Amino acid sequence: MNRKRNLISSGAEIAGRNRRYVVWFYILNLLFAWWGASGFSTKAHGVLDHSLYADKMLHGFDVSTFLEMLFRPEMGPAQSSTVPATIFAVLFFLASMVLMPGVLLGYSSDHRISKNEFFRACSQNMWRFVRLVLIFLIVAGIVGSILAGIQAALVNAADQTENERLPFFIQLGGWTIIFLMLTAIRVWFDLAQTDVVLRDQGVVRKSVAAGFRMARHNLWRLLGSYVVIALVALAILVAGIWLWHAIVPPSSVFGAFLISQITLLLLLGTRFWQRATAVAFYVRREAEADLGAEKPALVAAV
Amino acid sequence: MSLRIFSLLCLIVGSLASPAFGQIAGLSIPSTTSAINSPTPMSQRVVHYGIDAKYDPKTHALDATETLTYHNLTGQPQDTFPFHLYLNGFQPTSTWVREGKREGTRGQDFEKWDPQSYGAEEIKSFEVVDQGDFTRQLQFIHPDDDNKDDKTLVQVHLPKPIPPDGYVQFNIKWHDQFPKTVHRTGWDRDALVAGQWFPKIGVWWHGAWNCHQFHAYTEFFADFGVYDVRITVPQYEVVGGGGLEVSNVNNPDGTKTVTYHGDDIHDFAWTASPHYKDYFDTFQGSMGPVKIRIMMQPAHTAQLERHLRILKATMDRCERWYGAYPYKTITVVDPEHDSPSFGMEYPTFITAGTDWLVPQGLLEEPDYTIEHEFGHQYWYGMVATNEFEDAWMDEGINSYSDLKIMDSVFGPSTSWVNLWGVTSGILGRHRIGYIGVADLDPIARNGWQYAGSFSYGGISYGKTALVLFTLEGVVGEDTMRRAMHTYFMRYRFTHPTKEDFLKTIEEVSGKDLRWYFNQAIYGTEVLDYQVIAVSSVPVEWYKPDLEEKKGVTEYVSNVWIQRKESFVFPIDVEIKFDNGEKVCEHWDGRDRWVRYAYQKKAKVESVEIDPDHKIFLDRNNFNNSFIVEANGTPARKLANYFEFAAQFCAQLLAWWLV
Repeated sequence: MNRKRNLISSGAEIAGRNRRYVVWFYILNLLFAWWGASGFSTKAHGVLDHSLYADKMLHGFDVSTFLEMLFRPEMGPAQSSTVPATIFAVLFFLASMVLMPGVLLGYSSDHRISKNEFFRACSQNMWRFVRLVLIFLIVAGIVGSILAGIQAALVNAADQTENERLPFFIQLGGWTIIFLMLTAIRVWFDLAQTDVVLRDQGVVRKSVAAGFRMARHNLWRLLGSYVVIALVALAILVAGIWLWHAIVPPSSVFGAFLISQITLLLLLGTRFWQRATAVAFYVRREAEADLGAEKPALVAAV
Repeated sequence: MSLRIFSLLCLIVGSLASPAFGQIAGLSIPSTTSAINSPTPMSQRVVHYGIDAKYDPKTHALDATETLTYHNLTGQPQDTFPFHLYLNGFQPTSTWVREGKREGTRGQDFEKWDPQSYGAEEIKSFEVVDQGDFTRQLQFIHPDDDNKDDKTLVQVHLPKPIPPDGYVQFNIKWHDQFPKTVHRTGWDRDALVAGQWFPKIGVWWHGAWNCHQFHAYTEFFADFGVYDVRITVPQYEVVGGGGLEVSNVNNPDGTKTVTYHGDDIHDFAWTASPHYKDYFDTFQGSMGPVKIRIMMQPAHTAQLERHLRILKATMDRCERWYGAYPYKTITVVDPEHDSPSFGMEYPTFITAGTDWLVPQGLLEEPDYTIEHEFGHQYWYGMVATNEFEDAWMDEGINSYSDLKIMDSVFGPSTSWVNLWGVTSGILGRHRIGYIGVADLDPIARNGWQYAGSFSYGGISYGKTALVLFTLEGVVGEDTMRRAMHTYFMRYRFTHPTKEDFLKTIEEVSGKDLRWYFNQAIYGTEVLDYQVIAVSSVPVEWYKPDLEEKKGVTEYVSNVWIQRKESFVFPIDVEIKFDNGEKVCEHWDGRDRWVRYAYQKKAKVESVEIDPDHKIFLDRNNFNNSFIVEANGTPARKLANYFEFAAQFCAQLLAWWLV
């Protein structure tokens, strides 16, 4: 690995070299969402397929017609559509958690790892990752709640002033700070996860501590990389939705599907890019540490 | 006239003016016309309010005196007079708050009582000229719900009745404590919108006092008259009010007094804030120029043109379709952001409502609000219906008017939302409000007796608009417009009843529409027609070697139409065959179902009820048609949206947690 290259491009190179992971995760994401949406889809077909009124949904998006459709008893309660989608979203999260150790191992390796290696890493690290997620939830929950509370209080205070824009900008600023803090915590736990996998660390708290040390000492560099990639993700989302709106005719289901899925694939890719960046940092740092450890030995030999 | 008769007349007149009656010589209601573009008064003026008020923005309190002259046009002696004290509604035990607590009203559910929500209107002294001080004789009354803690109505009984055509003058001193705005009236930050803020006499209507308690989702009712109002506030305040601003004078004590005069109005509201930015323009009305004043929040000044454009467009259509706007002024107030005083109507004074960041295509604010509230200048302001008992006659007729005006300004399918490919007309908005409560309440019901605020909104606004829009399909658009014009011209500056309105439509259209009104206005019947089934079977279906060929094979086709609900309404049905042929049928809808049978060398391709789309009351439009060959594209499109959202959420969850 070229040490002089920055983290973002190193991460991009790793993620690009292992793009099959993104594709597999994307397919999983698509399948789960498809199952999650199947209830809604069946009911929508039941209401719309034989009705001329459905035309209002085809050549545009008439929001009141859409709401009328949702209010139809045939559509069932809202939960009958949202619960399956939520369940499958949770399943995707669980699958991501289970499979991520294999991805991290693949990212750290300079050759294409075998399926056996991939799944062995997954099975060895599954409960470790569960513990990591729980610790992350506690840390992020506490930090997020405190910041959200402060934000709410500031917005409330700003709301008493005559400056109408102030609450909005305080809210925006608050969300930015919360985003940065949570991203920093995410960096910390991404490094901890990498440490767990690459060291085969059974004592998760040691990896949490190691991740914290690494993140603290290199916070701005890592945070900067993560934020840049997150901004790329945002740009992809905005561009995707704009293209969807601007170039896809309202009645083109295939066009909408294509644009939306390319957008989602690229979005998913940006998260893997962040992960690859963390791995690149971790591996480089370990290599530097090894080099540092070798030097005294060399000196001793001389 | 003989001397004897003359003597008798003198005796009668003398006895009427004697101490047994409370007649006061020299009193009258002014016949001023300075606030209207008319040389003569336009209403039968019953009241004259002379109010002198001093407002303290630090305490949000006001001390005032009111000289109310009442002309007894009831045709009989009156010794009892009820008054509204609306601000007392903002107290935890009032009917207004109890109803709000019970079912929520306009975004307020009173989960917790906020002491700042407290409002009060306390009478300090109550004198009747020539009869004495009645402060201690005032009695709170609660005719609607017998809530003894409700203090929104007070009644005075006079020992000397006021004779028919006589006058009585009340001198009232009172103190207002404005609430932090819960709804319509009150203060927000350092601004005040003052509505329903002074003791207001009830209306003698159909042989009785019509004076209801303040309810959570009903509005108001008052007599026409003349208003002369003096408001004293600190000099830094920018003040706006109904009617014509007569003077604006700085006082030596750092205050200023702004005086307003209003002719032929039935309420007076005003506002004060140090922050308003004033803009003026003129609308050339058919009776004369109308001075437009727009009082904007500093953060909203970029939306001035938007405010003006929709206001003028609305004024233009109201003038052309209904009749002249006779007042010399209209004031549009852009209240404090997030203030519940937005979207309210008072004579010649309306509150709009916007935020600093509102895209043009999002028409809810401010365009729709301004259009709707100005519409109330006609349907409430001039045609002054009883908002307590006939809420549909102001909100509903105005909602129908909204449909017509907004559609004419912004286009029928984009008059509510037109943003980034997402569209909807006002019609759709009303349908959404109506569908869920279609069979809950009849339109003709006392406002406070609806099942809840959701039903009040869905029925009095939504259903009424749809009923009138559907009626337009029955009598024709031109006839409906003529009916609305006739109704306005005939009943402006009066208090018409529901039958006045319905009979006007029947008269102008020349049709007996009772069958419709009985179901739509007085009943809870729901309208829902559906295509039950469609079939096309080859005539020679029994032949084992039958080969179906388009244009050659003969089919027996059957189409079943059902009236699912109880509302009987004649409908048209269009049956389209796969050779392009169309057949139109007309069904009176009286039976529960009808079947149409055809024998043709073509199969039925589609069936549509109401092909001209004139029935807007149908609760379910999806079952109004049937396409034989299913078209799954719309559902696939929506499923794709749903799937995109589900995928995105799943990714977001995994992004943060793993």
